[in-house]
Formats: sequence, structure tokens, C-alpha cells
Amino acid sequence: MRPPARPRSQTTPSRAFAGLAALLCALATAHSAPVLAATLVITVQTSDGHTLPGAVITAHPLDAPALKPQPVKAVMDQINRAFTPDLLVIPVGSTVTFPNTDSVSHQIYSFSPAKRFQLPLYRGTPYPPVHFDQAGVVTLGCNIHDEMVGYLVVTDAPYYGRTDTKGTWSSEVARGRYRIAIWHPRMREEAADLERELTIGEADHAELTLRLTKSLTPAPLAVRPHSWDY
Amino acid sequence: MPMARTMLRLAALLLPLGWLALAATARADGWELDLDGRLVSSNADPSYTQGGISGVRFDQDQSGLRLGRARFALTESLGELWSVHLDASAWGDHDRIPVGLTEAFLQFRPYPFAGYRLRIKAGAFYPPISLENRESGWESPYTLSYSAIDSWLAIEVRTVGVEAQLDWLGTRQGHDFDLGFTAGAFGWNEGAGGFIAGDGFTLTDRQTPLGGRVGLPNDPVLMNFEPFRQLDGRAGVYGGLEARWLDRVVVRALRYDNRADPTAMDYASNAIAWETTFSAVGARYEDSNGITAIVQGLKGDTTIAPGGYWLDWPFKAEYALLAKTIGRHTLSARYDRFEVDTGVNNGGDGAEIGHALTAAYVFAPDAHWRFTLEWLHVSSNSYEREDAFNLPPFASETLVQLAVRYALGSAVR
Repeated sequence: MRPPARPRSQTTPSRAFAGLAALLCALATAHSAPVLAATLVITVQTSDGHTLPGAVITAHPLDAPALKPQPVKAVMDQINRAFTPDLLVIPVGSTVTFPNTDSVSHQIYSFSPAKRFQLPLYRGTPYPPVHFDQAGVVTLGCNIHDEMVGYLVVTDAPYYGRTDTKGTWSSEVARGRYRIAIWHPRMREEAADLERELTIGEADHAELTLRLTKSLTPAPLAVRPHSWDY
Repeated sequence: MPMARTMLRLAALLLPLGWLALAATARADGWELDLDGRLVSSNADPSYTQGGISGVRFDQDQSGLRLGRARFALTESLGELWSVHLDASAWGDHDRIPVGLTEAFLQFRPYPFAGYRLRIKAGAFYPPISLENRESGWESPYTLSYSAIDSWLAIEVRTVGVEAQLDWLGTRQGHDFDLGFTAGAFGWNEGAGGFIAGDGFTLTDRQTPLGGRVGLPNDPVLMNFEPFRQLDGRAGVYGGLEARWLDRVVVRALRYDNRADPTAMDYASNAIAWETTFSAVGARYEDSNGITAIVQGLKGDTTIAPGGYWLDWPFKAEYALLAKTIGRHTLSARYDRFEVDTGVNNGGDGAEIGHALTAAYVFAPDAHWRFTLEWLHVSSNSYEREDAFNLPPFASETLVQLAVRYALGSAVR
């Protein structure tokens, strides 16, 4: 269920000559990018102190703003009238395919500023992947089934991911200053109000615990009556 | 014999429905076929479908096996933004239309734009009032019998016209709530009000099909009553508001005025135009523990003035419903109360007051099967019961039903 969001440093080519490519890649990285030398650990808590799984974390290096994440090819399916997974974190420039596995047709739209698009009524996978070239949160809906809501968090941060069941996300990062941002579909705060700056100096390990200031909105209801349009 | 005849009639109804279903399966965007059979035990007097005035659907002579509903519905897209929806049902009683359409409409559904979304319906459909009848086929997931308010809408209220709904989709823009505004214009509903003034409120799940008749031709009160008629050439209107907090709370308010000319009359059929206005407000709350709570109230007035005599019936009804779902089991309880006053100066023509209790248990083992056990008790005092049917004015009626429903279709999962 968790989107396969990985920091750039862990991305490995997987086709033929994988070993050679990895070697070349590692050499190139060693010469051009700062040394990856510290572990960044972010923990997110709700306003009442519980851990928050599934929160989106992005870490922007302020000392190396040119460092950008590698685009990915992601898939968001539609199963039992729900976007599956219901949230994906993708780097700017990525593409997402939206197959519809249901027996009923869906009609996907977004009017979010980061990407306005619509996929006319369909079943199966009739459309090419959609390109997301602007950072921001893209809220997806189905024009037929109002209960369907999905999110794409499009980021230009080289380090990104989601907190695990313990409310924690960690990544190997280069030393330096970072702007840490969090986002969750149920949080009430403005994302900008929760941003923090963090400097990773000499230590091998940097930890930051972020606590939401407001209670989360209730989770979407799991069971809905079977309805067409009432 | 009556049972055999019923079964024969049922088979005659189901065969074309089944054929339609098969024909539609191949290419329709969505279709559904439901069959709802009932085991009924009742101590009630005959209801309007049997020529009586009972407050429940089945009477004591109908105890035993009954058809609850046979339904076939179809949704078909017409190009990118248009769709057509047809909902046909048979109820196994004496309507002159054995298989009728309860709803039939064309919908225009453009994509949301800048946070707003427009939806336009044209045809015949329910105005957006009910908070319990939220499943396809305008059925309730909580009980078999609808509340007094929704039973009345099922019997004689339908929008035959156009409705536009403009939604502001706040939940898609980082807010906690959505807002909706609805406006409708309609004709062919000048019968709305006639049933309330004649029979009062009842608790049923029978929906009058378009062009259908309410009651038997010889009904002493309803007199060959057809709710969906146009006599005076005037369009009715309604306007409504809806607010939704996440997917947890829905609040609805609607003002309806059929703007009928109460002096209009069709002398050939003795049909009268009922000028009916009402306001309906309600709220539904759901939480993650499987609790659903609904409260709704409706208050209105219906007037006729044939030959210059102004006759007026104010009416009101309210209900509160509480349901708890645990897995595939749902327990529901509902309290209804209703009242029809009378402005007729002859001792109470049409006056009624009553209340009802409904308790239901629904077990839905999968998407296809649903088993419902419902106990419904209605107590009411009605002037017509004595005046037109020579029955005691007070009646205390109990209907117990076990329903077995099987649903099939592309949208059933």
C-alpha cells in the first residue's frame, strides 16, 4: 500500500549491465555530490502526542538547492471505488498511470493549482501516463463517485518519503542545512506553518520530532452505502 | 388461487425484466437487478393499495409470502458528460402499471471547475430531501419501511422537470466542508398533497411509478388519484441548501412550492390541482464506530379550491433514526410522528395524528444477499378512517416483515 518513494541515493538501475551502471553511478555521485554522511530521522506526532503514520516528509537542502530528485513512473489504481494507494509522493517530472480495475467507469479530475487535468470516463487503462511537472499537492476526485479522494504530493525535494507505523521516516543525507516540511491529508495546519530548518553538522545522526498543533480531521469512513447518485 | 395468480403475474413481470437485464448487460455502463421477497405478518387493515386507509403497506389478509420489489435499473453514458438513468420496478399489487418507472432522467455532469461543480438533471427524479433513502433505487440501508416523510415523497412527490445543483467542493481544496445549492422547476406534480389530505401519513416502501395511480379506482377517499398530473400549466419550484462536513455530517434544507392553481380542475376525471408548499430540514451524522443518526422534519400545507370553496390541510412530520453497524450487521430504530390538521369546517375532514416505531435488523453477508427483519408499529387517530371506512378512528397496527433480497449487476460488488 505504501508508495515506493525512495531517496535518490537508494535508486538503483535494474536493467542489463546493472552492476556496471551502479558502479559508474556511484563514481559519478562521489565526484559531483556532497558526501552522504548522516542519517536524518524525522518523527511526526499528532497534537495529543500519538505517532502519525503516513505523513509525507520532504527535506530540501538549503546549501545545495540544485539537488533535485529523479522522476519516477508511478501507478495509482482504482479498486472498489477507491484510489489505491490513496496517496503517492512523487518527484517533479514524474508520470502516473491511473488504471481502473473496477467494473464501473470512473472519471478522474483535479482542479488543484499544481495540476489541472481530467481523464474522460473509462475502464481499464486507455490513457497514457499523466505528467506532473509542478510541485504541490494534487487532490484527485472522481466526477461520478464523490466518495473517492486521492492525493499526489509532487515534490522537488531530493529526500522525501512517508512516516512508517511508528511515525518515523529516515534517510541518509548529505551534511548541511535543510528545510523540513510535513504534510498529511487530515492535518488542519497550513503546511508552511509546520516547516522547520535543521542543520546537520558534525554528528552522524540528526533527529527531529514534529508535533502537529491541531487535531487531525476524522479519517474517511470505511463503509459507505451502495449508492448511484442520491 | 390468489397466491398462484400472484406468482404467475410475478413471473410475467420478471421475464421481461430479466430479458432487459441480459440485453443491457453487454454494453451498459451500469445495471442492477434486484428481487426482494417478503414473509409478512400483519394485523393491519387494508392499505391504500388494497382500497383501505391503513398506515402500513401490508394488511392482515396479505400475511404470508409477498413481493417486496422487483427492480431493474440502468445507467448509460451518452458521450463524455451526459448520462441517462432509468429505474423500473414492479411491486406486485394493483397498480394499473405493473412495471413502472420510479425515476427516469438525463444528467449533465461537467467537470468541476475552479472548485465549483454543476450538475443538471432533467426528467423525473426525487428532489434532494431524503437522508435515509441513500441507496440505489431510493432505498434505505437501515429499514424496509421508509419514514412517514419519505413514504409520502415515495407516494406522491417527484420532480418531473429540471434541477440544477451547484456545489462548492471545499474538501477538495483543503477545507473541512462542502456546500451545495439546488434549484428545481417542475410540472406534473399537482397531485402532491392529495394523499395527505385523504389518507394522511403512512409508512411504506412502495414508490408510485410515473403515470401511476395511488389506490384503487373505487377508493372512497382517493377517487382514482394520480399524483403526477398537470392541470393548470403552472410550473412548481424548489430551492435547497446542503452543507457537508467531511463525509460525516450532511445538513439539508429545502423549500418546495408546486405553485398549483387550487381552483384548477379536470372535469373529465374529477382531478383537482393541490397547491402544496412545504419546508424540509434534516441532518445526518455518521462516525467511524458505525453509528448513524438522522433527524428530519417536514412542515407544509396543501390547499384546494374547486368551485370557490377553499379547503386547507396543514401537515407536519418528523422522525429520528439511530443505527449501529457492526461488520455486516446493522441494527436500526426509528421514531416517527405525524399530523394532518384540517381547515375543513365539517368536524375534521382529513385530520390525522399518529406516531410510529420501527426496529430493524439487516444482515448483508455479501454484496448480493441482504436479509432484513423489521418490526413496525403505527398508532394513529384518523377522521377518515371512521367517516369513509366505518372503522374505529383509532388504529394500532403492527407489521412484521422478513425480507430476502438478491441483487445482481455491474454496479453490485
